[in-house]
Amino acid sequence: MDQSNDILLAVEDLQVHFLGDGPAARAVDGVDFEVRRRETVCIVGESGCGKTVTALAILGLLKQPPATIAGGRITFDGHSLLDMARDDLRALRGRRIGMVFQEPMTSLNPVFTIGDQIGEAVLAHERVAAEEVRRRTIRLLDEVGIADARQRIQDYPHQLSGGQRQRVMIAMTLACQPDLIIADEPTTALDVTVQAQILTLLKNLKQEKHMAIQYITHDLGVVAAIADRVYVMYAGVVVEQGAAGHIFDRARHPYTMALLDALPTKEKRGRRLYSIPGSVPHPAYKPHGCPFHPRCPYRRQSCETEFPALCDYGAGHQARCPVLFADPAQTEKTS
Amino acid sequence: MTTATPPLLSIEALKKYFPVRRGMLQRVTAHVKAVDGVDFTIQPLQTMGLVGESGCGKSTVARLILRLLYPDKGTIRYDGREISAMDEREFKPLRQEIQMIFQDPYSSLNPRMTVAQSIADGVRMAGIKEKSDQQNRIKLLLDMVGMPTASADRYPHEFSGGQRQRVGIARALSVSPQLILCDEPISALDVSIQAQIINLLKDLQKELGLSYLFISHDLNVVSYICDHVCVMYRGQIVESAPATELFDHPRHPYTLKLLSAVPEATTVGWSPRVDAELPKATLPDGCTFADQCQNHDPACDKEAPALVRVGDKHHVRCWKSA
Repeated sequence: MDQSNDILLAVEDLQVHFLGDGPAARAVDGVDFEVRRRETVCIVGESGCGKTVTALAILGLLKQPPATIAGGRITFDGHSLLDMARDDLRALRGRRIGMVFQEPMTSLNPVFTIGDQIGEAVLAHERVAAEEVRRRTIRLLDEVGIADARQRIQDYPHQLSGGQRQRVMIAMTLACQPDLIIADEPTTALDVTVQAQILTLLKNLKQEKHMAIQYITHDLGVVAAIADRVYVMYAGVVVEQGAAGHIFDRARHPYTMALLDALPTKEKRGRRLYSIPGSVPHPAYKPHGCPFHPRCPYRRQSCETEFPALCDYGAGHQARCPVLFADPAQTEKTS
Repeated sequence: MTTATPPLLSIEALKKYFPVRRGMLQRVTAHVKAVDGVDFTIQPLQTMGLVGESGCGKSTVARLILRLLYPDKGTIRYDGREISAMDEREFKPLRQEIQMIFQDPYSSLNPRMTVAQSIADGVRMAGIKEKSDQQNRIKLLLDMVGMPTASADRYPHEFSGGQRQRVGIARALSVSPQLILCDEPISALDVSIQAQIINLLKDLQKELGLSYLFISHDLNVVSYICDHVCVMYRGQIVESAPATELFDHPRHPYTLKLLSAVPEATTVGWSPRVDAELPKATLPDGCTFADQCQNHDPACDKEAPALVRVGDKHHVRCWKSA
């Protein structure tokens, strides 16, 4: 079956380096992934793994310098984003790609009402009369579940709770009816019950509006809750990818397995949590071979010299660990 | 409490209201009932969990125990002695017994002090006079929290978040406390680092015989580490039970709501109980959860329910679940 038409966003061999004193920090070091229409793709990893930098590169929001895009291609619906003129990119961003960030208070302008700010987003998309802007703004606030939208458009950001602010941010991105929303840790600063509301809202909107969502997070619980497909990143590299079921039920990369083992749950009471020894390597001083090898319980001599290829487990499930691929019995021993 | 061993910490009917001032004359127009009648005890070697969402009063409880705030009503007893009634001089020796670990290891360490200097104050407080003894004690503390001895002369910015949290723990341990209040100690850390710190806290508890008050909004962590859990909502404990009991048989509607909202990494696809309605800013007369509750009836609006026993060490504040 040809799925190439279905691919909305394709990132190929993306390399983002940060230049400074000393060697370049290879924050994103050859990342490939794709987002198909109407699917939720989660990019999961710990701080410094390159997940946010990847998103900023897609949006053309990297500050260059210090960042440089050292290689790779980003294609959105047939357009090469890296070759695009600045103005064209700006038109595309916002209009067809929406963004939601972690801290809604810093993304909203404190001196304008939320009605003004959503209205501005509506106008950026289409020149319509003031009355129509107001009508659409109210409808958008309704859609993201803000009660009494008619009154609330007069409110300033500080009058809203964190969850409501994030809803306003989502309303702003929806104003342009984007095909893709890139959400970077949008619920990290919120309480769990509010997080549940926002995640449910995103899920429902995706259904209603036929959008794709690229969701960036460090929280594996959130990933399990909303992802269709998952990419696990470590040290600027995708180490495992597959359907959510693959990742949570039969992870095949030692890093993914370690992350899942490290999560505290009530089932693990009384047992010691698995903790990954050492810490994430600095992007300028990554180890040779597999970037995870110094912390890996399965490492072999070859891991120290050879960069591992993605090994295919079928149905789109791939993991960058030839050791476990050659000897699957290893995974049974530890889990 | 009918337990044989006397509790290390016992809190009774604790209340703390903050005045809300309005207008030009800054008249007190209302009170925020941050802590509104809280009771619980912590046994020696126990890890007590205090969970709830932001604004529920859980951090205020910690600040009251540490006497960073003074209660309006109620008593706090530590080792049988009422610390809420003591003056500062009387309390001073006890201050070493109760220590705190903070959420943000970035802002809780002085950036201009080396690790050794940060810890040294506590070591001196603990009565170690000799310079060389102090050095040895600092080395031992760093070793206990899994930091290399060489880190003593380095500054906080040279360390990662997990390492800084280890330094924070070493500093808390420097005065040989019995009780450590952990306020969201791991929520700023990455998953792989969280596991390291949780394991460290458990090891230290065994080695040094510590008790913990573990304040967190992360129910997965609480279900793993705590022996007993109190769920707070709007300044009150709405449910209190041994951890396994609470997570296997939650009774209060708020606990149920909270638990259903937590996405678990073991279940792919999840649908939480979500209600669009936000809690009202003013507290209702009856049950504080009534405006959010799905099975509330008129009786719930009239009178506030008390915390009643529903099982072994299991208490619930709800007319309908009791």
